[in-house]
Amino acid sequence: MNASLLELARQHALLLAVIAPFIGAALAVVAGHARVSWAISVLAAICSAVLAIDAGQRALINGAPIADSVEGIALRADGVALFAAAWIAGALAVTTIAAGAFLRQLNPRVAPLGLALVLCAGGGWIGALYAQDWLGLIAAASTAWIASVALAAFGAERDRAALNGAMRMLGAGGVACALLFFGAGLIGRGAGSLEIAALESARIFAPGLTLTGVGLILAGLAIQAGIAPLHLWGGAAFGRGGAWMMLTAGVIGIAGALTVIVRVAAHAMAAPAIASGVAAGLVALGAISALIGSMQAIGARSLPRLAAYAFAAQAGCVLISAALGSQAGIAAALVQALAIISSAIALFVGSAVMGGAQSLHALDGVGRRAPLAGAAITAGALGLMGAPLTITFLGRWRMIEAAVGVGWWWAACIAIAALLAGVFYGGRLVERVYFRRSSAVADAQAGDWCAAPALIAAICITLLGVEPSLLLRAVGAAGAMIMGGAP
Amino acid sequence: MSLEFALAFMLIGPAATALLVLALSRPPGLRDVVHIGGALAVAAAALFVASAAGQGETARIVLARPLPNVDLAFSIEPLGALMGALISVLGFAHAAHAAGIVRATQEKAPARLMAFLSLALAAAMAVAFSANLFSLFVSYQALILATFPLVAHRGDEDARRAARTYLATLLAGSIGLLLPALVWTYAIAGALDFQPGGMLAGRVDTFTANALLVLFVFGIGMAATPPLHRWLAASSNAPNPAVVSIHAVTVLPAGGIGLLKVFALVFGGALAEARIASFALLVLVGVGMCVAALIALSKQDLRERLSYSCMAQSLAVAMGGLLALPVGLFAAALQVVALSCAAATLTMAVGTVAAATGRTSVADYAGLGRVMPWTFAGFALASASMIGLPPFSGAWAKLWLITAASAAGLTWAAGLAALAAVLTFAHLGPLAAHALAGRAPTDAFKRPDGASILLAAPVIFSAAATLWLLLLADPLASFLAPIWTPAS
Repeated sequence: MNASLLELARQHALLLAVIAPFIGAALAVVAGHARVSWAISVLAAICSAVLAIDAGQRALINGAPIADSVEGIALRADGVALFAAAWIAGALAVTTIAAGAFLRQLNPRVAPLGLALVLCAGGGWIGALYAQDWLGLIAAASTAWIASVALAAFGAERDRAALNGAMRMLGAGGVACALLFFGAGLIGRGAGSLEIAALESARIFAPGLTLTGVGLILAGLAIQAGIAPLHLWGGAAFGRGGAWMMLTAGVIGIAGALTVIVRVAAHAMAAPAIASGVAAGLVALGAISALIGSMQAIGARSLPRLAAYAFAAQAGCVLISAALGSQAGIAAALVQALAIISSAIALFVGSAVMGGAQSLHALDGVGRRAPLAGAAITAGALGLMGAPLTITFLGRWRMIEAAVGVGWWWAACIAIAALLAGVFYGGRLVERVYFRRSSAVADAQAGDWCAAPALIAAICITLLGVEPSLLLRAVGAAGAMIMGGAP
Repeated sequence: MSLEFALAFMLIGPAATALLVLALSRPPGLRDVVHIGGALAVAAAALFVASAAGQGETARIVLARPLPNVDLAFSIEPLGALMGALISVLGFAHAAHAAGIVRATQEKAPARLMAFLSLALAAAMAVAFSANLFSLFVSYQALILATFPLVAHRGDEDARRAARTYLATLLAGSIGLLLPALVWTYAIAGALDFQPGGMLAGRVDTFTANALLVLFVFGIGMAATPPLHRWLAASSNAPNPAVVSIHAVTVLPAGGIGLLKVFALVFGGALAEARIASFALLVLVGVGMCVAALIALSKQDLRERLSYSCMAQSLAVAMGGLLALPVGLFAAALQVVALSCAAATLTMAVGTVAAATGRTSVADYAGLGRVMPWTFAGFALASASMIGLPPFSGAWAKLWLITAASAAGLTWAAGLAALAAVLTFAHLGPLAAHALAGRAPTDAFKRPDGASILLAAPVIFSAAATLWLLLLADPLASFLAPIWTPAS
């Protein structure tokens, strides 16, 4: 009985991985009690993660086919979706567990709603990754975005300035949504189909129109991913949004939007009629994001802002990798996206355990005050820096290797410049954690157990950097699955 | 004991010592025994490995494969074995001296200081035994990160500023220049494993060879090639054990070893393709040697004077390698050995004097040799070696360097090396002479019992090491010969 149920769940893994967080969200709101809601949320997130990881493992490691889902919601499992959704769902589980660390910081009456919004954001981005057509992608991404906006507004209970961030997010989301719909319309007109995967096989009647449509979709997603210079919402939203906002938008939101961009780019790059135009757009945006993000991160004075700008810089490198239009490029983009997810979890959960440290000064002496949180933040900072034997270094190396392979030496230079900038802003964090005396009188610290998710991410950053064979196999399969015969 | 085990022990042993020192920080006696004992065990293993390498034995351990076709691997070859033995033996003397210093100066957080000294030793050993460019890069980064806390140890604003300069200079050089060189080499050779005769030999055109040489030489900032030398002066105000470690035992020697590995095992014959860059770099390091020695002469604080003096000597390593001749590489290898022994002696002697008398200025050294004869005997021997006076080790290194420069037809380079030696004499010779021959000060010591044996004995031990090349120059030449002989 149990075995057959499990098999049934596996057959509908894509659908269940998407709806499990939404069901969990509904139950969390109904439950009403903060702790009970948290337990329900954790359960739902773990269910989603197990299903997504199982699907990814079956398809990418074992090579088994995954059936597309057609029950009401049209879902499709391509290489990038399978890989990225597994990690986003895993990150959702980890962040939901970590949310328990600061439940008490919120009004108990609104805590269940907060947890529900976290789950909606995660479910939304998983749905966007699995979406079969453009409209499904837009609906899912917009759902996730609205949930993040609501979470940003939650911070207003503690700091009214958070509303400013939420309003900026709302405005940016509106623009992004308009771009996405307009882009989808143009693609439908130019390619004759609204299916994402059809882009590569369809006969494109109007390449210019289709290219513009893809460009608008990528621009809309870039706004949501916080890619510079389209990240005007980032500083305000991250800076004042509080721990919930940091975790949801920082870990799930940025990584979700970024991996959806990689997925769209991979499909678009496989269409010869528009590939060169898409590559040029991605390269331009990626280079600008890497440079602006790096400079802003160097000058940032608060941890959330520093992280937001640093992730914009890292995201720039992901875009450049995707623009390579090869299996190696997509694989490099996925490794770097995973590095962003891991670093974000380590940094944000680590700082959340320290009472949601905002100012960089709050990190002074954390290594002594809270060794576990200090270790997690340090791992996150090393991930940002791209220190050798971390997953970021692996991703950057694969990017440089792929770029040099096609003669894009300038892309290698940008990657190295981003690494160099990372030394300065990541190094500042490590210095504060271990080489400054504490200036904090008292921290609203959560229990040490709450640092466990951050430590898992820290282990992930280093372990996958030291022994990456399984990861490289998975991203290689993901790249091969989505790019078909591309080298 | 198998060679693989000895190799692993040399890498893991110092790191384990660091943990033990932190765990057993009290009582201080136990902490010191653990620190010195750990260093002694590592030195014994290194001597065993050097002896085996001398008989042609080799070993390789692979810790991970973090990139396709690239292992995090360490291997025993003659150059690494020699440098490992050098670093670990000096590390043992330094461990004993550090124990004396932290007691005499009541240094704060001594266990932390010793732990990072051990970690730095582990990273320096990893640099010495790295089997490929990637392992060298990882070990190099680890050494930077392990020594950063040593520079920042005092924790005040000055120390933090110095540590930031140290970190920024070295990390910027390694990521901005060494990493691109690594990637470029990988793109050309398809692998990063070191090869006798050079992995780039026959694979690079003139432009690539020149560009790569510039990237490697500046990327290995630990060799103190101008303008990436600011870290050396910045670190001179750190606690004495940190200065000894950085200037003599770990960082500066690691820079020399890194350059030697690049010249001999990455470029090899390809150095001939990089004539333009070699010539420009030779001018830079030759002039840099003289200017550094001149700046040292202008410094009244002994720690600053020694840091510039060490920089001048370190540039001689680069000069030897850039001459693109086996004899130049041999001179460079000898120079690393001579520099480490002499610099360790001098920096430890300066620490001993500061701990016992509180004096750090050149003007205050007159006559101190009469009340601290052992320490200043070592100081004088090491100064003579730094200057290049026979029969001390520095003399053989400089002799081979000048011979190599002349053989390459670069008489001006030989002249610059000789001029640097004269300037080194000017900033170290009179100092040692005044200390030994001047009138003894009446109230020299801060404490009536003067310097303890832990402060004086390591100075004598490392000073004696400056004499050993007198006996071993020829055997060393045949020991190191496989490094620059292409594999058949």
